Amino acid sequence: MSLKSETDLQVAIRKACSNDETAPKRKHVRSCIVYTWDYKTGAPFWKSFKLIPIQNNEIKVFKALITMHKVLQEGHPSVISSGYRNRDWIESLGRVTPGEGFKNYGRITNEYVGYILRKLNFHYRHPGFNGTFEYEEYVSLRVVSDPNEGYNAILDLLSLQDYIDDLQRLIFASVGESRSSECKVSALVPLIAESYGIYKFILSMLRAMHHSSDSEELLEPLRERFVSQHARLYDFYADCSSIRYLNSLVTIPKLPFDPPDLLADDADAPPL
Amino acid sequence: MSKAFVRSIKNVTNGYSSVQVLVRNATSNEPSGPSVSEMAEVSSHTFDQGEFLEVMDMVDKRLNDKGKNWRHVAKALTLFEYLVLNGSDRCVHWAKHNLYIVKTLREFTFIDDHDKDQGALIRVKAKELTSLLLNDERLMEERRLAKERNGH
Repeated sequence: MSLKSETDLQVAIRKACSNDETAPKRKHVRSCIVYTWDYKTGAPFWKSFKLIPIQNNEIKVFKALITMHKVLQEGHPSVISSGYRNRDWIESLGRVTPGEGFKNYGRITNEYVGYILRKLNFHYRHPGFNGTFEYEEYVSLRVVSDPNEGYNAILDLLSLQDYIDDLQRLIFASVGESRSSECKVSALVPLIAESYGIYKFILSMLRAMHHSSDSEELLEPLRERFVSQHARLYDFYADCSSIRYLNSLVTIPKLPFDPPDLLADDADAPPL
Repeated sequence: MSKAFVRSIKNVTNGYSSVQVLVRNATSNEPSGPSVSEMAEVSSHTFDQGEFLEVMDMVDKRLNDKGKNWRHVAKALTLFEYLVLNGSDRCVHWAKHNLYIVKTLREFTFIDDHDKDQGALIRVKAKELTSLLLNDERLMEERRLAKERNGH
């Protein structure tokens, strides 16, 4: 059921961002993702998105952000670059829900917009990464050959990971017992995938850097931040695994309780 | 009127080729199947350039089917995995080139009338197949083993 035209794409986006307080339907999100690969372009996705009236409803705006995040992650790489060009429009979405909003979407919408903008900025500065930060060997090789660039990339990744952590806490804080919380909880799905991708990346880059450079003191601040992030990520995944909806939908990664040894060889290191 | 009969009429009215009919039968909404012999027959057709495209066209349609037809998707994944392991090299290329189709099925959900999530099976299958397609060494090894099993 691949989409044939931009009109179909608009229908899929509209349905993904309906005003029911549920998760965006995977079916429609998937259609958008498949469209970007079928036509190898991200521009129509953003163009269609702008044509759809969502600003009048806080649930629609929030679902739009989840949809966007998913397509950024799983869609064709060009979705990221054309998303970067639409930063202003994405930013404007953060302003449409005043204060807390009627259903408490105000703050999480704002934070989510902030996160997506940071993600776009990161990808703009480090074009070697894909949307879910899946491990690609050559990136870490390049980074190691230029330690300054490597240092910066890891710093940027660590900051991005901090923002994910803030956002997930905010989402957990606003989730109630009711069934309607599914909408908010579903925003955790892309965050789990992304945080784990970043985690694996930082881990293998830090290991590679420890191997290639002799100055362990220089890497000390990165190591410290990594260790504290490891503990927070461990808690995040533990919290997620207590939610049935998430458990059935995605595999929640299980981190070892103790942070991994950065000086160990990648090969003898315990598997992730 | 049985579903199989309706399908045989659809096959004629939609002008499907005999190979495509094979694929459609193997990935129907029937609760059982696809059988190994059905899959082996489909895979034998992937060695011909023209028939290969017909097969993939139909597999593609089935993989992108809607939630209500989750059996189509599940069976198409089973058949697709079989083709990747046993079919011609073209199947492997096609699968790698169109990886996103399988990848995006990893979060497939469909809640049926009895509130049961029928997507679980598809999610597991899609995860399996994706990891197989991303691991060249394992893929080549499994293809070699499959060849031995088939007695080539």
